[in-house]
Amino acid sequence: MLTGIMVGTATSTAKHDSLNGWKLALVQAQMQDGSPDGEPVLAIDNLGAAMGSRVVLTSEGGAVRDMLKRNDSPVRWMVMGLCDS
Amino acid sequence: MFVARVTGTVVSTQKVASMTGQKLLIVEPLRIDPTDREKLIGTGRSFVVVDTVGAGQDETVLIVQGSSARLTPQTEKLPVDATIIGIVDRVLVGQKTVFKGGERN
Amino acid sequence: MRVAEVIGTVTLSKVHPSLIGARWIIGVPCSLQALKKQGPGDGEDLVIFDGVGAGLGARVGFSEGGEGAAPFYPEKKPVDAYAALILDNLEIDPRF
Repeated sequence: MLTGIMVGTATSTAKHDSLNGWKLALVQAQMQDGSPDGEPVLAIDNLGAAMGSRVVLTSEGGAVRDMLKRNDSPVRWMVMGLCDS
Repeated sequence: MFVARVTGTVVSTQKVASMTGQKLLIVEPLRIDPTDREKLIGTGRSFVVVDTVGAGQDETVLIVQGSSARLTPQTEKLPVDATIIGIVDRVLVGQKTVFKGGERN
Repeated sequence: MRVAEVIGTVTLSKVHPSLIGARWIIGVPCSLQALKKQGPGDGEDLVIFDGVGAGLGARVGFSEGGEGAAPFYPEKKPVDAYAALILDNLEIDPRF
């Protein structure tokens, strides 16, 4: 798991159907000093993360597939918590 | 997946039992030249891979990495992390062919 | 999923039987800066299984690793990168 900043929101019409009904957050992971760590990722979010806020991400695809109740979902990243500010 | 060129083979007599009879190839990953996107260039890196399609020396191949490398009947019981899954015929960037099979890059 | 700019395609003369008919695209991953500028991808290119019918110039979200093969469940296919969505719109917080 890691924390990152919710830097954007994405919309998509042509998508894997397991993504239907989920918001897509663009989250940038950060180094200890706050600089970006790699490329940002699209994560599914049903907690309603706010633009600019810090979130906790999980990359455990198996857990995400359990949550979606789908064995065939390609989703790996999910917002699993909002950091208290 | 990534595109790579077969640059050699590894001969290993002493190996884990499951690998008996498996041919190991050495490949160099290629990438699109990031400056002009007009050619395939070598990366200088080196990987050892197993083959499921019968690739040969100097051929340009498509490689799958990680746990997905074991998602074939031929590799599911092998301790491998990179597998050749295709031989490249053509690489097109925009409308431009940057690689065509049968050529040396 | 990371976001990649679709810049090309790869065709194969021989392919693993489980992947006959697959369409392969070349994606260049996008950093936050590249996404903000709506400019070209600036990461290391890779070959992605096209699960959404992405055209040249599209920005796709692609899954990597084991998740790249999940959409084929219960079949097993040796895929480690899968384009799962085409971005219509990306709104980025101007503070970043």
